[in-house]
Amino acid sequence: MIAEYGQLALTFALVLAVLLAAVPLYGSFSGNQRALLQAKPLAIGLFIFCLLAKLALVHAFLNSDFTVINVATNSSSILPWYYQITASFGSHEGSMLLWILMLAGWTALVAIFSKGLPLLMQGRILGVLGLINIGFIAFSLFMSNPFARSLPFYPVEGMDLNPLLQDFGMIIHPPLLYMGYVGFAVSFAFAIAALIGGKFDSTWARWARPWTLAAWLFLTLGIMFGSWWAYHELGWGGWWFWDPVENASFLPWLVGTALIHSLAVTEKRGTFKSWTVLLALGAFSLSLVGAFLVRSGVLVSVHSFAADPDRGIFLLVFLLLVIGGSLALYASRMNSVRSQARYQLFSREVMLWGNNVFLLTATLVVFLGTLFPLFHKELGLGTISIGEPFFNQMFYYLTIPFALLLGLGPWVRWKQQPVKPLLGPLSLIAVASLVLALGTLAAMQSVQANLALLGLLLGAWVGVSALYELYQRLSQFGSVTKGAFKLHASHYGMTIAHIGFAVLVVGVAMTKTYSVERDVRMQVNDSISLAGYQFTLLDVYPLEGANYGGEAAEIAVHNTKGRLISQLHAEKRFYTIQRTVMTESAVHARLSRDLYVSLGEALPGNAWALRLYVKPFVRWIWLGGLLMALGAAVALLDKRYRRTGPKVAAANKMEATDA
Amino acid sequence: MRKLLFYVPLVLFLALALFLLSGLFSNPMERESATTDKPLPAFNLPDLMNPALRWQPEQLKGETFLLNVWGTWCPTCNAELSYMTQLREQGVKIIGLYYVLPVDPLLGESFDLAALQADVSNKLQQRGNPYQFNILDADRSLSLDLGVSGAPETFIIDSEGIVRAHHIGDINPQVWRNKLAPLYQQWRQLDGGSS
Repeated sequence: MIAEYGQLALTFALVLAVLLAAVPLYGSFSGNQRALLQAKPLAIGLFIFCLLAKLALVHAFLNSDFTVINVATNSSSILPWYYQITASFGSHEGSMLLWILMLAGWTALVAIFSKGLPLLMQGRILGVLGLINIGFIAFSLFMSNPFARSLPFYPVEGMDLNPLLQDFGMIIHPPLLYMGYVGFAVSFAFAIAALIGGKFDSTWARWARPWTLAAWLFLTLGIMFGSWWAYHELGWGGWWFWDPVENASFLPWLVGTALIHSLAVTEKRGTFKSWTVLLALGAFSLSLVGAFLVRSGVLVSVHSFAADPDRGIFLLVFLLLVIGGSLALYASRMNSVRSQARYQLFSREVMLWGNNVFLLTATLVVFLGTLFPLFHKELGLGTISIGEPFFNQMFYYLTIPFALLLGLGPWVRWKQQPVKPLLGPLSLIAVASLVLALGTLAAMQSVQANLALLGLLLGAWVGVSALYELYQRLSQFGSVTKGAFKLHASHYGMTIAHIGFAVLVVGVAMTKTYSVERDVRMQVNDSISLAGYQFTLLDVYPLEGANYGGEAAEIAVHNTKGRLISQLHAEKRFYTIQRTVMTESAVHARLSRDLYVSLGEALPGNAWALRLYVKPFVRWIWLGGLLMALGAAVALLDKRYRRTGPKVAAANKMEATDA
Repeated sequence: MRKLLFYVPLVLFLALALFLLSGLFSNPMERESATTDKPLPAFNLPDLMNPALRWQPEQLKGETFLLNVWGTWCPTCNAELSYMTQLREQGVKIIGLYYVLPVDPLLGESFDLAALQADVSNKLQQRGNPYQFNILDADRSLSLDLGVSGAPETFIIDSEGIVRAHHIGDINPQVWRNKLAPLYQQWRQLDGGSS
């Protein structure tokens, strides 16, 4: 019965979404105040009914109600309860409901936190979000109902959750990622509202900034956790595979990053107007294209859900309406826009223009690399695949100028920047980076011109520049301690995020250069040394889990002096219901390096295949991602984002008294 | 001119949509299979249990059968043994192609046939023996020619010795019912016609 209530709740949500799309938009065109006022209660009601639907589905999973097809195919009664909950978004149907819940959640948040916006804008924004909600809820209800029953013939046991998904990563990765994808719907709605109104002054950019930052924050975390999960779960020590679906999440991230920077220009300087709007449309459009790629079966990927052309057609029509419609609106409205602001060649504007050029080039590279096999095949040229080397090489060439620019950008003022005053600090930073990079390699006794040196140089350039710029900015307030309280949170956010990028670059370059791996055959008590570590296989014994069996290996790791560093526990699981083998790799993580062991097949003669890795600085990759997300979080605390119009002055006064 | 520029994103998107539409109706998993509808590649390989006996494609003609690539080192292969044994009891003819793991000469190991035979008969006693016999692919040449990417994989070979289907992954009741059984029955029925 509960599942039917869930379906009913989702149906009510659809009705509310239709009302949310119709009533406030009608109000915005007719000037009907009462219609506009309906937006907020409708948005909150929509969220409540989506939440009820989601809870009903979770209830069905927790009670192992196998009459629900979705539960029977993705869960089992022996699955631990926390994975039963995650299984509720492990399938296409369930994840769609999670997507809807997030979308309704963002819609409700916009309704609650946009008191400062004019009623007309509120109505337009929430109306557009209502339209998007209609599409996804209708898709869920009519094309992929998560509550569908298989009565009267239902299985007594479920087919279990795909073992790959039975991991902590699955608990956090999809919700974070979806929060990010869907969050760009808010930026999208702001842009459409601005397009409908025909006003592209700095106000819409100021309103859109915190929402864009929040969405970007979640997307960054989602991608970062996805990478970490793949690293420890798939058992081959990789952290990014340029898989089509990874790329599908990377595309909105790249455009979102460009959008954050472009919004700053539009807000502060009233220029880049049409470009910023296009980016806001683009970020969410790419989220939608990504959803289409994952769910339609157009591309091959480990992430894909089961392919179904009907669903693909529905999504494609939805894409055409949302993206095609918004781009048509864009084209028809934009030709009246003119930017007045003037700026010199060496100015913050041009720096951020450069940022956008590189990010968009990267977007284009990823986009073409991902879809080229599809284009190639549909043009009748046969099947091909584009692999890591292409992407790696392109990103190698893109990162160098991008990082150089990033170290320079924050120093450059709006409108125009005289070159001379910057020469001093910049040469200081350059020398400091050279010393830092060479010093690090010298400490590792490996000074040579390689990718690691380049990565360290670029990372140090960006990181030192960010810190020094912060110091210099704080000193402008008289003293650093005084400045520390006065500087806007968004400036701290920027500095932290830029340092995050530096850390990421260092991590990638060092891991790529100094990682060592070996596939070995080991018997118990065999020892193998790798990169100064001695790996000893202590024991292999059978494993008994709730829904799996298999083998576990204990591996001791000693350093060259013979001191025990860690005892690693690697598993090879065989999931009985799904008949799938999974590796649970063992990792000993330190900031400077990971020791990574995965247990392979049993070999003849009482031996096992093992894969050993030593991966220096690999943690820095995720640390960088975390810092970027932290930067966004800190920037969100900026008080300027939460007050609009006349209240800003009052806020500034309060800040003064606080300090 | 400037006005037209703003239509560029729309035009690009519509072009993309066309590709996505056509992409919906073609299967990305479909690879141009190198082997299906072609005769078995030539080989001359020993029997696993009785190496004096050699097998060639000619000897396998006459009846549709499953050629199952496997090894005791592969847990998924071991898992499918018992279900395939049930299939054998239902009259499905299954021939094994034993895939020997590459031996790492660095580790000072040589290929030990007697140990392998003991290992295999041990495993088959435990889990059930679905095979009429096993062909020993010691240097993996036939597996390579067949385009095997990992064990287990199964081919349906018709009575003329022509490869009719290639299944990657294990055989379980679901896969058999939905995918392989219809194909097997189809070619099996033609066996009578040709003989």
